[in-house]
Amino acid sequence: MASQGRWLRLPPRRLVSLAWPWLLVMLLLVGLRLSKGAGVLDLYALLSRPFWPGSAQSEWLMAAQSLDRQSRLQQLEADNRRLRGLLDLERGNPALVSAPVISRQAEGWWQQLVIGRGGLQGIAAGDAVMAPGGLLGRVASVTPTTATVLLLTDSSSKIGVWVGARQRHGLLVGAGSQRPLLRFIEQDGGVRPGDVVTTSPASTLLPPNLTVGVVQSVNERAVPAPEAVVQLSAPVNAVDWVQVNVQRGGKRP
Amino acid sequence: MSVLLRQRWTPLTAGLVPLLMLASPAPLQLAGVPPSWAALWLLPWALVDGPFSGVLAGVVLGLLLDALHAGPVSEIPALALLGWWWGRLGRRSSPIERSFSLGLLALLGAALQGVLIWLQQLWWGETNVAALHTLLAQTLITAVLAPALCSLQLLFWRQLAPAVGADPISRMRWTRSR
Repeated sequence: MASQGRWLRLPPRRLVSLAWPWLLVMLLLVGLRLSKGAGVLDLYALLSRPFWPGSAQSEWLMAAQSLDRQSRLQQLEADNRRLRGLLDLERGNPALVSAPVISRQAEGWWQQLVIGRGGLQGIAAGDAVMAPGGLLGRVASVTPTTATVLLLTDSSSKIGVWVGARQRHGLLVGAGSQRPLLRFIEQDGGVRPGDVVTTSPASTLLPPNLTVGVVQSVNERAVPAPEAVVQLSAPVNAVDWVQVNVQRGGKRP
Repeated sequence: MSVLLRQRWTPLTAGLVPLLMLASPAPLQLAGVPPSWAALWLLPWALVDGPFSGVLAGVVLGLLLDALHAGPVSEIPALALLGWWWGRLGRRSSPIERSFSLGLLALLGAALQGVLIWLQQLWWGETNVAALHTLLAQTLITAVLAPALCSLQLLFWRQLAPAVGADPISRMRWTRSR
């Protein structure tokens, strides 16, 4: 019992007064351990701030990332073309013909462009016309040196499109205004504002996977199926040169 | 009747209409909508040259413009109707030449043209949510331009065919001199 009493005895006051700074250090270390390095890491961050990776590094990284994306895009496009060739989806050999816009009627009763390339350059009615930003319309009629392009906004324009995010087909109908309507076939549209509208991936009449626009608003109560208003991505009023997707040397659909 | 039509070169001026329509000069647009160049040319022509020539000019213009438009909608009915109506008005005893009357006639004509195009679009099942905007803008800009442009043309045509419909005496004199 006596020995136990000795062990439980408090340390002498002198010893405590000598050792209390070390005890404090010990307590600090324990706190450090329990908090997983609070304080030390903050101190390190404060001291090393001048040497942190700067904007230059992030730019290098972003450049590398975009290079990576571009090369992947090219590879995927080549792959896609090869697979489409295997599936015989692509008829003939599509080529792009650049054409200047020589007359522009973007508003009014008719919404059309006249471009300065025509039948002599291989353009035919039905060819897709693209501008920086996406699909612009389709060629309605052709003369030897000009072609009339029916814009997507014209009242008589109707093309099939695809909302990739919701896996929905729709019919893009020109409404005479700057924003065409997207009519769905299914009752349950599920499309939200902000969804990107493209040409159908399986399309043979139009180049597949071409950006058309963005859904601006959805009218769920439209009869017989929901309707959406689409903001086109290609700026019609600012386009001076367009590209026509010409099908050379192949059978036309 | 149809004095202007008998001169070989005068109907060729109708060729300016499709050219102006294609060029669609930006300063002469209202909210992006160009005026009805066909109405602006047809109004003085029909007023001076009578209903028969008016209808003929309307049909010719309609054919020209329909050739340049995609889609099934036609401008021929409206322009033929306007040519006939304005031709009849030109045969009245007091000739229409005040700029205000010209503006009013052009306004009514452009409105009729727009309404007929709109009706045809409805008939063909086409959606046009901007129809009212286009109709109003085109009617207004046509009416604003008509006093200036139509008065000049009217003066020019009257010089070629002096007051044919206005009073019978001058018409007889004109016919005899030929």
